[in-house]
Amino acid sequence: MSNKPVEIEVTLPTVAAEDIKRAMDRKRIHLLRNGRGKSRVLWLLWLLVGPGILAMLGENDGPSMISYATTGAKYGVGFFLPFIILTFAMAFIVQEMTVRLGAVTKRGHAELIYTRFGSFWGFFAMGDLVIGNLLTLVTEFIAVRAGLGFFGVPPALAVLGTFLVIVGVSLSRRYWTWERITLAFATFNFLFVPVAILAHPVSSQVVGAFFTWGPLPGGVTAGFILLLMSNIGATVTPWMLFFQQSAVVDKGYTVADIKQGRIDTGLGAVFAAITAIATVLATTPLFLNHIDPANFQGADFAHALVPFVGNVGATLFALGIFEAGLVAALTISSSSAYAFGEVTGRSHSLNSSLREGWPFYAIVVAAAGIAATLVLIPNVPLVYIVLIVNVLATLSMPPAIVFLLLLVNDREIMGKYANGRLANFFGIAVTLFLILAGLVYGVTVVFPQLIPV
Amino acid sequence: MNENTKKFPTDHLGGQTWVHDVLEPEQLSTAKGTFGRQKMGRATIFILWALRVYVVLMAFLIAWQITGPQVLHLHP
Repeated sequence: MSNKPVEIEVTLPTVAAEDIKRAMDRKRIHLLRNGRGKSRVLWLLWLLVGPGILAMLGENDGPSMISYATTGAKYGVGFFLPFIILTFAMAFIVQEMTVRLGAVTKRGHAELIYTRFGSFWGFFAMGDLVIGNLLTLVTEFIAVRAGLGFFGVPPALAVLGTFLVIVGVSLSRRYWTWERITLAFATFNFLFVPVAILAHPVSSQVVGAFFTWGPLPGGVTAGFILLLMSNIGATVTPWMLFFQQSAVVDKGYTVADIKQGRIDTGLGAVFAAITAIATVLATTPLFLNHIDPANFQGADFAHALVPFVGNVGATLFALGIFEAGLVAALTISSSSAYAFGEVTGRSHSLNSSLREGWPFYAIVVAAAGIAATLVLIPNVPLVYIVLIVNVLATLSMPPAIVFLLLLVNDREIMGKYANGRLANFFGIAVTLFLILAGLVYGVTVVFPQLIPV
Repeated sequence: MNENTKKFPTDHLGGQTWVHDVLEPEQLSTAKGTFGRQKMGRATIFILWALRVYVVLMAFLIAWQITGPQVLHLHP
């Protein structure tokens, strides 16, 4: 028997530019995991947060913040405060599953639907997403226009400037850079908190609302149901599923990162719930002073708040609306590009070079560009349109969640990370709740005489 | 016969074999395998189509609400 060393040549797969950039990010995580020190845990979390917070704060988009503002203006402090917390709890339940799916399978949501359920359902899901995203992107640019309109910025300049920011950030060709810049923008969602403080809500009423789920002025009316649907759609929408799972994959999550992914998602839900509730509180003075927001256009919310929160408060409110539209436009345009790339088998990464990923970046630019163009239409009724977009998002969630549940229960791909009974219970409960909400809405539309107007 | 050395050719990688040490195989964009089709039961297909019909009907309802004579007032 020979003891001579044997050299074996092994051919490794070609490494693309996106793989190198992803590996550079993962290297830092590897070093931290193998390191020591108390601050290691926090640094690890810092490196791994992003997809969850962006999904949640991205969903506090223009239509959502307008929905919360309308809620505060119509109903003040009461039922909707604890209801918002319930909706974000639902969002956490749903979004946590996307973290596991992405970390275990290393595939985006659209890609998994396409490969596991076939091209028919894959393109169907992608079609839903693209249509929904386009409508939502239009409303994001409406919000941008409204927010900057408060400062006298012409609509065309506001829209063009935002479009250029989206293109510039997306073409950084580095997921880490895109993520961190977008996170920095997203922190401005907290601008609604000081506005809420300036509105001087009565603390005892706020605390009481969380325990009593009341009051509900006027009771259950058609307007109440519409706002209910809109608030649900302000927290759970299909693009969040696609975006977070794709972002988790693009960021390079592995199963070892699932714990931090859950924390990231939970933090996102908490942050978004805080700013959503703050927005409701911020516009409560309008309710107390019987100012009807039904026909508000553009920057009317901010202007109407000036007597109650001052010019500073109104300025912060307008800036918050602008931020909401900007961050959502960044995340939603990326979710469309991710889905397109995953289903068509092309490059789908914010780490891609221009040469490898030009179709991906083309979709980002096209999605934002089409929406930006459409929004420069005169006399767009802002409030009604944004409410309807959120309602549509609520209605299109059940099919998206069913696909999600099918995938996350698929032990062939998920192994031991598949859903347990508790996760399935909550997932199915959320789905049934959304279907019920949609049916109630449908009944009120078809039989409006059943409930007061 | 003992295997105690391996040589990794790096010509086509430009010295970037460290990428393979850091990333899992399924994380490489050029080397991902494919999952097979999952067989869906009749109940699953029925639920998916039922939800599809539900969404389409609801979309028509929204369009009817916007364009029809009923106007949902936002007054409480």
